[in-house]
Amino acid sequence: MAKPQALIEQVRSSVAVEFERRHAPTLIADRKAAKAARHKAKHHKYTKAAFFRYCYYDPAFKFFCEQVLDVDYLPLPEATRAYGEVGVQNSSDYVCTPFKHILGDFAEALDLGADILVQFGGPCRLGYYGELQESILRDMGYDFIMLNFAHGIQLGYLGWAKEVLKTVNPNVDVPHGVVKLKAVAKMIEHLDTLRDYYLANAGFEVERGVFDAAWVSAMDAMRTCLDERDINQAYREAMAAFRAIPLHKPADPIRIGVVGEMFTAIDGRSNLDLDQKLIRMGVEVHRMLNFTNRYLRYNEPNLRVGAKDYLTYDMGPTSTLTVAAARKYAAEGFDGVIHAKSAGCTPEIDCIPVLQKVSEDYHMPILYLTYDSQTSDTGLDTRLEAFYDMLAMKKEKNK
Amino acid sequence: MTKAYLGIDIGSISTKGVIIDEDRNIIARSYLWTEGNPTEASKNVVRELESQVEGQDVQIVGAGTTGSARRLVGAMLGASVIKNEITAHAVGTTHLHPDVRTILEIGGQDSKIICVSDGIAVDYAMNTLCAAGTGSFLSSQAHRLGVEVEEFGDIALTSKKPANIAARCTVFAESDLVHKIQVGYAREDIIAGLCNAVASNYLNNVGKGKKIAAPVVFQGGVSKNAGVVHAFEEQLGMDVAVDPDGHLMGAYGVALLAADAGPIAQAESGPFVSGTFDFEAMLDFDFKTREIECQKCANHCEVICVYRDTDIIDSWGNRCDRGAVKTTA
Repeated sequence: MAKPQALIEQVRSSVAVEFERRHAPTLIADRKAAKAARHKAKHHKYTKAAFFRYCYYDPAFKFFCEQVLDVDYLPLPEATRAYGEVGVQNSSDYVCTPFKHILGDFAEALDLGADILVQFGGPCRLGYYGELQESILRDMGYDFIMLNFAHGIQLGYLGWAKEVLKTVNPNVDVPHGVVKLKAVAKMIEHLDTLRDYYLANAGFEVERGVFDAAWVSAMDAMRTCLDERDINQAYREAMAAFRAIPLHKPADPIRIGVVGEMFTAIDGRSNLDLDQKLIRMGVEVHRMLNFTNRYLRYNEPNLRVGAKDYLTYDMGPTSTLTVAAARKYAAEGFDGVIHAKSAGCTPEIDCIPVLQKVSEDYHMPILYLTYDSQTSDTGLDTRLEAFYDMLAMKKEKNK
Repeated sequence: MTKAYLGIDIGSISTKGVIIDEDRNIIARSYLWTEGNPTEASKNVVRELESQVEGQDVQIVGAGTTGSARRLVGAMLGASVIKNEITAHAVGTTHLHPDVRTILEIGGQDSKIICVSDGIAVDYAMNTLCAAGTGSFLSSQAHRLGVEVEEFGDIALTSKKPANIAARCTVFAESDLVHKIQVGYAREDIIAGLCNAVASNYLNNVGKGKKIAAPVVFQGGVSKNAGVVHAFEEQLGMDVAVDPDGHLMGAYGVALLAADAGPIAQAESGPFVSGTFDFEAMLDFDFKTREIECQKCANHCEVICVYRDTDIIDSWGNRCDRGAVKTTA
């Protein structure tokens, strides 16, 4: 049997070893790193979020960042060719054009000081693009936080809420955020209504440029909104301003419906300002495709019922909307339809034979436009001018 | 003295010009290569037209331009009508052939189809991303085979068994062609195969989904190629008419539009300053194009300025009013 003194020593040493194991000594370097991390968390928080440029939804993105995510919003300036080229250079050649534009926008946003990028994914390949863009940007050397709504999509709103809490801001006031999210939806609806009015009437203003000025101030008013009441107020005022603009609209103007892919058919930079070009020719433009109709009120099976002569199944992200809208325009006696897509957009390529059938059945011409990241619009002008001339001559003849 | 109108169609490969009288008859015609110099080519066309109407008591009171250099040459001429080539072709052809239902057109770099109903264009399509099966493809392949492109048609018609050449894409067509040459196919069979390839490429790309109804008129530079005309007739199973002035149809159409617009009343400068077209004024001046990179914002638009001697007579390419260049003439 061991002596008592030895036994005590043995116990003491094992306690000491256990103590050392549980409380490892911190190195001075580690302590410094921990302090730096605490400092960074306090003084250099990731707080400036940026979206990519997308049509006229910038006020809604701003409202979402500031009111829902509770971070600063970094608005992007007018698009320039320089960053467009950054996007093209760092993308695969065969990827669709929106990917290149978005990548260029993200690079620009990071250069301007954003540290959170928001990518909401999309109903087609776009849903995978966030992931890819994040890794390309990291390879380029940028450091940032990516809020990608393609993550958490399986759980719907709950998944997105978790994603936000995890990546951007763990301190988001959830009930407050839900209230503000409702306001975002309201703002999107209002923006779309304003845009629809603008597209239908801006081509007929008596004094040139009045509608554009009213549009810019409407967007500015929307950008300063803090809650749903402000949004409704801004909408009422903008709409009143629109309605007050004197028009000389003929009883039977040339009406063109624009259908196509989510990005290219709406976004002015992607389609080389198709809206503006048509408006300047004096055309009443209609476009069913927008956030309101694609997300907030989207009911694909019911939408398909209206076009059931042409569609049996859901063919893709915006295919039902494209065909249903084209059929609706044809039935309403529109003069023509323009179908816009980016090169290699498979779902919209699938729509083309269906649209040709619609065109044949209703004797309504459809102009098919394919865009890549080109900057020259000479070819587009020629096609649009010819399309307009054709519709105008046809209208004149049928009078 | 008769009033007349000038129409010029400046394409990528060739420049066409006509003068029409008040009864819409062509009284002078010209067809020259553009050779990468649209201003010089259109001057030459105007010179040739002038020599054809010399001695006749003709006064040109209006002008129109079309084709890919329409804006530039329109500025040079002080034209009253500057129209896209699709409209010009439709107008010209429907005037000469009031019953036409389908217009096929293959030019140097582009190809288009126009569907007509009751003398009015109701639908059209134009090649977009790819120039397969256009005139420039045929002429580069003619060069490879060592024949003049003008002889193509006659050689093709002598073939009994045209070679099968992949038509989907110029690159594939070319490698297929090289292969057929190397395994020793007869030259006329290859050329006939090429003509078939052009026709089927056209019908599968530009004409896809369009209803091609008779009567069909085929025009553009390639319509001069009897081999392609024959291939179209065979593939469509209907007669394909080629107008002797088919290659001038764009110029004719825009001259008609200029005639509809009427005489140019008050031109502040340019060849029409006296009310009638002054040939000397246009031929004497030196026209230049310069590109300016606008520095007013970050987009740096390329603004194109057209100079007559030292005066800026037109400019375009700016996206906003900040980049607008004042004309000095």
